[in-house]
Formats: sequence, structure tokens, C-alpha cells
Amino acid sequence: MVQLRLPQNSRPLKGKTYRVKNATHIKRFRIYRYDPDTDDNPRVDTYEVDRDHCGPRVLDALIKIKNEIDPTLTFRRSCREGVCGSCAMNIGNGAGGTNTLACTTGWEDIKGDVRIYPLPHMPVVKDLVPDLTHFYAQYASIEPWIKTSSPLPSRERKQSPEERARLDGLWECVLCASCSTSCPSYWWNSDRYLGPAVLLQAYRWISDSRDEATGERLDALEDPFKLYRCHTILNCTNTCPKELNPAKAISEIKRLIAKREL
Amino acid sequence: MNNSRSMPLSPHIAIYRWPLSMTLSILHRISGVVLYSGALGLVYWLVALAEGPNAFATAGWFFHSWIGQVFLCLWSLAFFYHLLTGIRHLAWDSGWGFERRAYYFSGWLVVLGTVGLTAATWIFGWLIVGGVL
Amino acid sequence: MSFQTPLGVARGNGTARSGTGHGLVQHAIALALIPIGLAAAVLFFWMIQVGYAGAVSLLRQPWVLLFVVLLVALPFWHGYLGIKVIIEDYVSNKRLAYTAITLIRFLSVAVALLGIIAAAKIGFGG
Repeated sequence: MVQLRLPQNSRPLKGKTYRVKNATHIKRFRIYRYDPDTDDNPRVDTYEVDRDHCGPRVLDALIKIKNEIDPTLTFRRSCREGVCGSCAMNIGNGAGGTNTLACTTGWEDIKGDVRIYPLPHMPVVKDLVPDLTHFYAQYASIEPWIKTSSPLPSRERKQSPEERARLDGLWECVLCASCSTSCPSYWWNSDRYLGPAVLLQAYRWISDSRDEATGERLDALEDPFKLYRCHTILNCTNTCPKELNPAKAISEIKRLIAKREL
Repeated sequence: MNNSRSMPLSPHIAIYRWPLSMTLSILHRISGVVLYSGALGLVYWLVALAEGPNAFATAGWFFHSWIGQVFLCLWSLAFFYHLLTGIRHLAWDSGWGFERRAYYFSGWLVVLGTVGLTAATWIFGWLIVGGVL
Repeated sequence: MSFQTPLGVARGNGTARSGTGHGLVQHAIALALIPIGLAAAVLFFWMIQVGYAGAVSLLRQPWVLLFVVLLVALPFWHGYLGIKVIIEDYVSNKRLAYTAITLIRFLSVAVALLGIIAAAKIGFGG
């Protein structure tokens, strides 16, 4: 259901400002905060960071804030090099933000104050940590593993270089959920619409020459809500930090299903 | 996992930076609804034509009034916009134009094309036909 | 309070195994409406030029009449399919959504029929 305004308990209030001392160059970070241990609404806190003593990435700044200014600031991170997908969040400035990985985004490229929010239209566990339970369950629902009925081969399952090449642009997905949470269709209908990330993964298994369940997989997607809520808005492809193309993958699924009808 | 206290919902449309494609997408939808009301206008015009010269003259008077002209202006704008974005949608659904550069290019092409075609239609209407309706 | 597992929630009631036909029909109509829409713009200016009597005699031509019938029927079909999707997107109450979709379908069929009857009346000289 479209609800342009946030529910009463979710509207962010103005928060605290943490000033920096003895710094000549300052960068301000306005960060969404939510503490589940209180009954307070979320708030946006402002942190001043010494530009001359901070690493170049947004994740560097977040870690610096957590280490030196406010240890309660909570966010997910692991690899700090764009392969784990943990630190996806909405990063931008006063003109709005896009979903991306904090570890591969430079804060110097952002004009004015940096604004950081959790991934959009998600339940918030704490601060920048969204609840991805439903997202992961949707991923599990497309059965992301090779399914075969033929007898097990004695050695590896063979694949030609051309067959392997069809997985390029799909296997690189790190399931950071940036694309799904950038999609207005997913915002309004995520209870049933699978969203770009999960559909790109579904297409990854549909495209796999070793898989023998392509028809079943297409059956499981042919639904007005699971698949056809994609209206080619293209926010997914615009925002993907790995520069993949979920919109194209979804279109390929639609075309495969349409071709079955003809 | 269900907390007893419901989790807040993170901000979405108010904080998201609108890319060109998202703006064009919602306008495609809005122009479609405008065209639907325009189709109602077309049927009204046909019914007036069927009823006779008097009713037809009344319809002509309506479309000549400032409110009718605004209606026709919006209708023509929506028509050319929806036509061009519609062609873009047909291309996508045939598997073309998904590269970032391609859809930014086609997006701006749609914007220019809509303004150009609408302006050309009205200039044609005023100069050659001598007033729209 | 619910103890349903996240996977159970995500799977829901499975798939409707539908929605493909909707898209195929919508595309076919859209494709047809490209030339029809452009031709309609030409016809529109033509009819303004010739006035009431001219417009009536134009509609007496069988091909023009057929064209006008398509010009009325296809946009309402296309529009109904489009508005159906908009309602499905934005209205999560299924009863309300179904009612709204049914009303739009009824309105589309009724108004399109009205237009076709009007065009036929002129065309057949009634």
C-alpha cells in the first residue's frame, strides 16, 4: 500500500550535534539514529569530523565516529572492500541519497553535509541496521541452488565457456539489498513482490546451463505480484553498487515466460 | 523475529534522490490517466456529433473555452509523452535499451520529443488550421 | 502475534500462474495504438477543417467509421488494463481493489460502447 508519509512512530526528530575540537577542516555527517531500548522516535544526529584525520570512504568516517565520538552508533560492515554487501545504506546530501555501499563510496565526492539513512522503507532494528529477515526469506523462496534430476555425474558438472559466460553480470551480486530497497514497487508491495535483487538471483539460476528446473523456476515466478510488479522504473540499475543490471534480468525473465505462451 | 514494540519504518520517498528514469516512470503513469480522461472527452465529442449540429456547436464552444483549451493542451502533452515513453517501454520489453547510457539518452530524447511534438502540433493548429477546434 | 516462519510468509500462497497474458495484450494494443494515435491526430485536424456536415459525411465512409470504432475501443481497453495495474499497486485492501477494478472495467466498456454507438449512428445515417 502506498503511504507517502511515515507512520507516527517512524518520523525522525532533530537530534544532537557532536562538535569537533581543534580541527581546521570539518565535514558534517547527519546520521539516522534509532534506539530500540527507548520509546523515542528515530532522530538525525550530526557529527563533525576532522577532514584531515579521516580515511576517504564513508565507512572510514562511520568507524571513526564510532571509535572516537559515539560508540553507540550501530551499522553493519565486514569486508570493507565491496564484496560482502553488509554496509549497504542510503548515502547522499540535502538533495537526497541513493543506496550504495559505505565502503566503496568516497565522502569527499559528496557536496555539503553527508546524510546517511538505513536502506529505505525497511523495518529498523537499530540505527543503520535494517531488518532483512523478509528479504532473505524471499531469497530462500526462489531456491538458489542447482536442481537436477539426472544421475549424479562421476566428475564435475560440465559447462562450456559460452554457457559460463551467461552467468556474467549475475553471479557478482552480493545481495546487499540496495536495489530492492530503491524500488518504489518494492516499497509499496514487498509483502508479495520479490524485488530486483531476488529476481536477478532467480534469473541467475534460470540461466545456469547445469540446472534442470528452469520450467519450474519460471512457473514459480509467473505471478502478477511476485514478478509483474516490475514497471521498469530502473532505480535498481541506477543504484546497484556493483553496476549490475537487475532491470534487464527481470525483463529477460518476463520474455522467457512470454515466449512459453507463444 | 517480532519485537513486542514494532520497529520503525526507515524513510523512503522523502529522502531518495529521484533519478531521471523514476521521474519519467511516474509521469508515464500520470499521462496515462490524463489520456483516459481525454478519451472520455473524445466520446463526448462523438456523441455531440451524433446528436446534431446544435450539440456539436456546444461541444465546439466548450473546447474553445479556456478550460477546454487547457484540457486539450494537457491532453496533447500527455498524448505525445505517453506515445514516446510507450515506445521506450516496448523497446525494453523486447530486451533493448537497458544500458545506463542508453536509457538516459532515450529518456532525454523523450523529454525533447514531447516538447517538440506538442509545440509543433499547437503551432500547426494555430497557424494553419486557425485555432484548435 | 505470529509464529509463522519468514519462509512461510515469503512463499505465501504461491503463484497465480497469471499476468503474462495481461502484458501481451497490453503490448499488442500499445503497438496498434502507435499508428492509430498518429492517424487520429491527422483526422482530428481534418474534421475541424470540414465542420459539422463534412465530419458527418467523412464518418459515412466505412473505413473511417471502422477507424473511429478502433480509436474508441482500443484506448479504453488499454486504459482499463493500465489503471488495473495502478490500483493493484496502490490499494492493498483486496476487496476495495477488486471493487475499483470492476468499476473501471464497467466504466470503460460502457463509455467505449457509447462512443461506438454514436459513431455507428452517424455512419449509418440514423
